[in-house]
Amino acid sequence: MVTITINGKEVEVPEGSTIIEAFYQNKQDIAHYCWHPGLSIAGVCRLCMVEIEGNPRLQIACNTQVMPGMKVNNQSAKVKDAVKWGLDFHLINHPLDCPICDQAGECGLQDQYMKYGQYDSEMGEGKVKKHKVVDLGPRVVLDSERCILCSRCVRFTDEVSKTNELGIFNRGDRAEVGTFDGKPLNNNYSQNVVDICPVGALTSKDFRFRQRVWFLKDAETICTGCSTGCSVKVYHNKEGLFRVKPVYNPAVNGHWMCDQGRDVYKFVNKDARLLDAKVVSGGKTEHMQATELAKRLGTTLKGAGKSVALVLTGAYTVEEYDAILNYFKSEVQTSNVYHWINNPENFDTFDGLLLRGDRNPNTKGLAEALSKNGFNGTWKELTDGISTGSIKTVVVAGPENIALFPDLKAKVSELARAAKLIWLGAAKSADLEALTGDVALLPTKSYVEKSGTFVNHAGLRQTVKRVTTIVPGALSLTEAVAAMKGEDVLAQPKQQAGVASPTVGAGRVNNEFTLTRGVW
Amino acid sequence: MAEIKYLSEHYSKPEFKTLDGYKKHGGYEQLARALKMEPQKIIDEVKASGLRGRGGAGFATGVKWGFLPNNGEPRYLLCNADESEPGTFKDRLMMERAPHQLIEGMLISAFAIKSKKAYIYIRGEYMGPAAILEKAIAEAKAAGLIGKNILGSGFDCDLDLYLGAGAYICGEETGMISSLEGLKGQPKLKPPFPAVQGYLRKPTIVNNVETLAAVVPIIRDGAAGYRKYGTEKSAGTKLFSISGNVNKPGTYEVPLGYKLMDLINIECGGLKPGRKLKAVVPGGSSAPVITAEECEKATLDYECLAQMGTMLGSGAIIVIDDSNCMVDVLSTISHFYHHESCGQCTPCREGTGWMERIIHGIVHGHGNEGDLDLLIKIADNMKGRTICALSDAAALPVLSFVTKFRSEFEYFIREKKSQVRGGQIYAQLHH
Repeated sequence: MVTITINGKEVEVPEGSTIIEAFYQNKQDIAHYCWHPGLSIAGVCRLCMVEIEGNPRLQIACNTQVMPGMKVNNQSAKVKDAVKWGLDFHLINHPLDCPICDQAGECGLQDQYMKYGQYDSEMGEGKVKKHKVVDLGPRVVLDSERCILCSRCVRFTDEVSKTNELGIFNRGDRAEVGTFDGKPLNNNYSQNVVDICPVGALTSKDFRFRQRVWFLKDAETICTGCSTGCSVKVYHNKEGLFRVKPVYNPAVNGHWMCDQGRDVYKFVNKDARLLDAKVVSGGKTEHMQATELAKRLGTTLKGAGKSVALVLTGAYTVEEYDAILNYFKSEVQTSNVYHWINNPENFDTFDGLLLRGDRNPNTKGLAEALSKNGFNGTWKELTDGISTGSIKTVVVAGPENIALFPDLKAKVSELARAAKLIWLGAAKSADLEALTGDVALLPTKSYVEKSGTFVNHAGLRQTVKRVTTIVPGALSLTEAVAAMKGEDVLAQPKQQAGVASPTVGAGRVNNEFTLTRGVW
Repeated sequence: MAEIKYLSEHYSKPEFKTLDGYKKHGGYEQLARALKMEPQKIIDEVKASGLRGRGGAGFATGVKWGFLPNNGEPRYLLCNADESEPGTFKDRLMMERAPHQLIEGMLISAFAIKSKKAYIYIRGEYMGPAAILEKAIAEAKAAGLIGKNILGSGFDCDLDLYLGAGAYICGEETGMISSLEGLKGQPKLKPPFPAVQGYLRKPTIVNNVETLAAVVPIIRDGAAGYRKYGTEKSAGTKLFSISGNVNKPGTYEVPLGYKLMDLINIECGGLKPGRKLKAVVPGGSSAPVITAEECEKATLDYECLAQMGTMLGSGAIIVIDDSNCMVDVLSTISHFYHHESCGQCTPCREGTGWMERIIHGIVHGHGNEGDLDLLIKIADNMKGRTICALSDAAALPVLSFVTKFRSEFEYFIREKKSQVRGGQIYAQLHH
């Protein structure tokens, strides 16, 4: 460790740290745009100016390493003036389009202007106009005139995705970010450039103009798009979820997440969900509350023994697996429990960065739970049992994101050969809706509607907390089991005393540009 | 003291650019000598000679060579022939008239720093010099002077020419390295410095054409022989390219410490009849301008010009007589730096354009009260705030022109016309 002084306060930082890292480690404010801890140092925005005792010239904090005894400050009039001018240089050709900019409310330029600027511009000349709404690829749009050429996006495609689609073309104040000829920004990590863009130059086609950020709440959770289990933040309001962004987690995903993971929110929203419970029997369809159905199912399942089989997918939490396996073992009294492995041929693949072929968040947790309970049935045993009629009832805890289960249709018809099919799941599926036999459909909660634990591919246990409720009547497996046991279950939890609900914008105190900004 | 032909002794002889002609005048004898010396002895000799980089920065050459780390990694020698600062054309003469002198100097230098690969990075527009160098390199390769086991010494060194695409910033050593690596020609953050991590992230020395060529006479005459010319801190001779309002513009070699006015009046034949000296830009367009009064006291060495708040730079002297409007001159200079800013660092990217637009406005009669103070503020906040010195190069002329010739600028703003050329429309070199 090295002892240095930042703005008069002695602090200890790891040897080899840069000054800007020292500021961040000690929660000190410092202006910057181009520096990003997950990327190489560019040193081009020239905002992170500091004064170092004994050095007559201001230095940039991002490319200057700490030295023992170094005395650094960024509060002097000299530094403040330099930052003010740095901002002015950034702003002179920037359009004043905050009212229509999708980054309004979370824009680094806006934030830093409020913190370090707030002055009358001295620019009297006409602005340099650049291109608007440039289609960079399938997911990202560029508004070049807002770009401050921090080069974060270019460095990202060079250093992280290693796809090199982006470059800065032309020189001087004519310079613009763009894609190389015939190579659109089209990699599975492309939307990270939107996250790291400090202004509203790069926006996500999926999110543009759909919501103002200040109308959204945000909360941290885990991505359930594959077995990596990236730490993410979901942005939502009463209409549902609107976007997912990565949260820095050095043990799992670093600063990034994949584009496929960002789409997971779409399968949580109402239009993709199984909204109520129903029973189809003898050509009649009956709709009811999920709890009512679960209670009814409990009476038929109790003590039914080996005529009942349970099929589990890797989408549920450790706690849910414990509850349902314990129920089937002790109450239903069957050991016919099977693991539905989707896309087995790609299950062990890995793209080298984050995305894994196992597109379930908790395969490992499921395997542990099955092993702990001594369940090791093979899929063949299940299909044989259905064929011979020894298995009469199949209970399925199905996938949440059915797009990741290419064999869904085949599995539904395979399992529907049983005399009775009980399907617990979050997703609305035409294949399920089309079933005409003895079928019960019970809506389950998606990952943002419940708390619990997921075990990722590496065995790391990560907990999630309920974020919101999209489908009020849906049950977690734990709640469904409780209802099956005859217990009263409140499907949509009420506000518990003393526990605050997520506040609008509460998560944004972690925005790298708003380190000390208060909660709205 | 007068013009001296030390480096440029044989430049007027057409045969000097061929291998045979060069050899006739003692060419490659110093290479043969150097290859029998200890590399460190060559570095020591160059250090002792006081040779300073002739590209503009004036850093001690031998000291720079000493920064190379001994980490066993391959080392590169890069010759900076991207001569692109307005007013600077002295290396062009050297490359056209004495290509083998440069090659010999590079081979000696490469041997001294233990580099087996050297490049000459030349400005794309220098097609003529490039062709001459290409031919000279081919001759030297055919003669076994470049390549394996040079002159039977066991020393291997390859040398090639690389044409840039033509960007001012590729003359900055790290911008040049980026370009040579096939990247956009943009300067790199320092540290690490090229001596530690340069071309392909390996230890690299970047020297100017004139600097490397000067190594040849240093080996021939020794440090003491070289030091016969110049001053104690500015040793040796220097090529100066002189343009502007003199009767005989061109390239002249004089000892460092030579009087500026002697160069103008004696070597360059003075000014046109009836004209008065108004100002001189002494070291390329980025050097702060000095007034006629200051010129009287100026000697052409690093120290004197630094004391005057300007610099020797690349030795490009632009002479301005009283027929010129300083607002027009600054407008041209500012346009150049705006055009050439690589766009990487914000103060330079935005500041060069902002300054040009203000000056352009004044030139076109749209100047406002406060423009001059604003220009000074902008330039002050560009200075020293960027990765490379282009921002300074753009800011320093603005600061010096506006400060030293303020009345001319004020007149233009107030009267909406030039104090010198009146209401005549300034033939803009740019749109």
